[in-house]
Amino acid sequence: MINPMDLSEKIILVTGASSGIGRVTAIQLSKLGGRVVLVARNKVKLNETVDMMEGRGHTVYSFDLIQIEKIEELIRQIILENGALNGLVHCAGIAPMRPLGLTKADFLHNVMLINFYSFVELVRCVSKKKNYQIGASFIGISSTSSRIGDKSKVAYCASKAALDSAVRCMAKELAEKGIRVNTVMPGFVKTGMYTDYMREYSNASDAKKILARQYIGITEPEEIANAVAYLLSDSAKTITGSSFLVDGGSLS
Amino acid sequence: MTNREKLALLENMLELEEGELNEEIKLSELENWNSMAKLSLIVLMDDEFGKKLSGEQIRRFETIKDILNFME
Ligand SMILES: NC(=O)c1ccc[n+]([C@@H]2O[C@H](COP(=O)([O-])OP(=O)(O)OC[C@H]3O[C@@H](n4cnc5c(N)ncnc54)[C@H](OP(=O)(O)O)[C@@H]3O)[C@@H](O)[C@H]2O)c1
Repeated sequence: MINPMDLSEKIILVTGASSGIGRVTAIQLSKLGGRVVLVARNKVKLNETVDMMEGRGHTVYSFDLIQIEKIEELIRQIILENGALNGLVHCAGIAPMRPLGLTKADFLHNVMLINFYSFVELVRCVSKKKNYQIGASFIGISSTSSRIGDKSKVAYCASKAALDSAVRCMAKELAEKGIRVNTVMPGFVKTGMYTDYMREYSNASDAKKILARQYIGITEPEEIANAVAYLLSDSAKTITGSSFLVDGGSLS
Repeated sequence: MTNREKLALLENMLELEEGELNEEIKLSELENWNSMAKLSLIVLMDDEFGKKLSGEQIRRFETIKDILNFME
């Protein structure tokens, strides 16, 4: 038997590992042999994730990504305690809804900080000498919102488009270091973020119309986790600078 | 904040002229009282008053006065 998504011996940092896609990704990576460094604010929920994981040596760092200037120190500590990284997966993200009339710079900035700037800062720090291993793979979780506009979602959609655009540049810049950089671009995925959105905001957005575009059904978080695992694995050795669609057909 | 100031916030949010709103007005009579306005109100309560307003609470509002009372 072969396992093209084998991740044994690989050390992978996952942000947003306390819930939703990040949690399921951490669990799935552990089942594929990976050793995971889990980052998010809620320590209790991070430890709950660890309890659901397989294998040993997973570590938890409670950190608020809004403190962007402290990410460098966080990475230094993580590398010191865990070794150089083979992978980075940025699943942390926020999706607050706000009509354009109230979308001012401070609000935009806040969404960009968590969804986008922190990813750039993480990549900047991890791609420094001795912090990564050859063949490393970095992944941002984007969204089809990067391509499909919606009411009340200027900040979120723009932050996701920024991710997709940035990985194309990073891929070129980091290729000579043997690092690959991609995004995974999900449509609707069954997590807390999705249920909140549908419950509270579906009337003030095009949610129902966009959902209808996803004709093959809603994606389970495990499927996103598997796409991430594939991009992390050596099977994806020449995939870089791309946005991997897992969208239930919505962009077709 | 005085009632007049609170009304001004709502007038601004709903793109109405100054003085156009009063406490007795029924929300159902307002042309602009749509889903976007409701979301704007949630954001306004959070930004200006630090209060979380749910969709369920909004459904219980009948008049402008109900909104002003929530702003307290
Ligand atoms: N669900 C969907 O339909 C969908 C579709 C497309 C894309 N996505 C994207 O997928 C990613 C994960 O979403 P999800 O559905 O799994 O949402 P979720 O369950 O709400 O998870 C969001 C994660 O981000 C972390 N986070 C938020 N703010 C943070 C901060 N300031 N510092 C550190 N961590 C922070 C949260 O952890 P703490 O609260 O513990 O900090 C949590 O683990 C997001 O980027 C989202 O945009 C989701």
